[in-house]
Order: sequence, then structure tokens, then C-alpha cells
Amino acid sequence: MKNAVDITKPSETIKSWVELYSDSMYSWALQKTSSKETAEDIVQETFLAAVKSFDKFEGKSTPKTWLFSILNNKINDYYRDRIRKPSISNSEFFESFFDNVDHWYEKETPQPWNEETGHLLDNAEFQSILKDCMKKLPENGLSAIQLKYQDEKKSELICQELNITITNYWQLLHRAKLQLRKCLDLNWFKK
Amino acid sequence: MKKIIHTFMLSCKKAAELIDKKSVVKLSRREKMQLKLHLSICEGCEVYQKQSKFIGELITKHFGGLEEEKAPQVKNEELKNNISSKL
Repeated sequence: MKNAVDITKPSETIKSWVELYSDSMYSWALQKTSSKETAEDIVQETFLAAVKSFDKFEGKSTPKTWLFSILNNKINDYYRDRIRKPSISNSEFFESFFDNVDHWYEKETPQPWNEETGHLLDNAEFQSILKDCMKKLPENGLSAIQLKYQDEKKSELICQELNITITNYWQLLHRAKLQLRKCLDLNWFKK
Repeated sequence: MKKIIHTFMLSCKKAAELIDKKSVVKLSRREKMQLKLHLSICEGCEVYQKQSKFIGELITKHFGGLEEEKAPQVKNEELKNNISSKL
């Protein structure tokens, strides 16, 4: 059946879209946020927004494309909010890695990982440790990591969309990397 | 002499910062030279560079190069009913 859009009955039409697209929208939001509750909220908000702005849907794009554009905006809002969440100050953070002349503390100095690292990409146990380590990141650090590595979006565009400076962005990324490295080091390589 | 070296040399803190900065923005020529010099004599930072890059690869793979079409499909009937009841 072709889904002709009956503009006189927005809620009926959108109900049929819920049937058709909510699963793939939910799956996408879940991938992007790694949180069941967040993904559910975002998909729900997307449909409520779709009802409100139904008159702006002109059939120029497919319903799915239109819904996904609203969804992606909502996902961006989510990141925009999270990346602004405060965490401990830079000085406090770096103090735990570097001494008073800004050299690595002996116990913090990165040591080579002796293990062959290539196969880790396919190791389920390692993947679950990686996941745990990411969960331990502060919200703003995790957001920076997700934005950087989830798709190949240009950094300038990411910063523009989130209205943050590029310096702010790479600093968050740097802190997250230091934390992840340490966490993987302790929980995998040194075990 | 030590003092001279210090004015040219980056600290490890600064070098590690440049290593990750590099993955987002282009470094200036001065920064590039300073980092290169630092890495040539500092094993810890050289290791950090390798591992930071590797972690990037791990995470990219972990997220699976996301595209809408390729995201693993998860059904959520409860959500479907929930939304429908609110429309």
C-alpha cells in the first residue's frame, strides 16, 4: 500500500507513521545516545513535534526523511545540552596525571601495551570493558567522544551545530582520551 | 643549557594535549616542530600518541561507522503504543 498523505487528518497520518517508522527511529536514536530512556524520549518528542508542525510537511521529502530530520535535530539538542554539563576544572583534572613540572607522574606514564592490539576490535570481552570505560566518562566528555567518532562529520560543523568553540571541543576530547586510556590500561592491559 | 632546552621543549602535559588537538585541528608549524622534538626524546608521550590513535580506531569500530540504514534494528512495541496513545 502506498502511503498517501492525507493532510486533513494529521493525527491519523502520523499514527500510521508511528507504525512504520518508530522502530527504525528508535534504533537510530539508541545507537546515537546509548541510552534506552533517552532514545524513547527523543522518538516520542519527535512525533509530538511532527504533529505540531504537520502543516510544514509539504511532501517534498518522504515522510521518513522528514521525521529523521526532526529526530536528528532532537539528537543534536541532546548533545548540545550534555556537552555543556560542567565537570571538574582543568587544573584539578590534569593534576592527577601530571606533576608540578607538567611531566607524567611515574605511575601515570603510558607504557606500551604488549599485547597484539589488532584483534581486540573483534573481542567481545574487550568491547564490554570499552563500553564500561565510556560509561565512566563525564557526560560532556562522552558527548565529545560520540560526536567525534560516530560519524565522519567535520569538527567545524559539529562545533557550529552545538555552538561551542573548537578549543572547547578538542579539550573535552583530550580529557576523555586520557581517561579512557587509563581505564583500558587498568582494566584490560594490566590485568 | 637546561633552561634553553626548557624554553624550546614542551612539557608532557602540553605535548599530550597537542597529540589530541591534532586530531581535530591543524597544528601550527611551531606546534608541529615542538611536538616532533618532544616525541623524539619522550617515550611516554610517544606511547600516548600511539594509544590515543588506537583508542580512536577502537571507538570508531565500536560505533560501527554509523548510518541510519545500518543501525542494528531494535523493536520497541511498548514505545509504539505509548506514542500512539498520546497522539
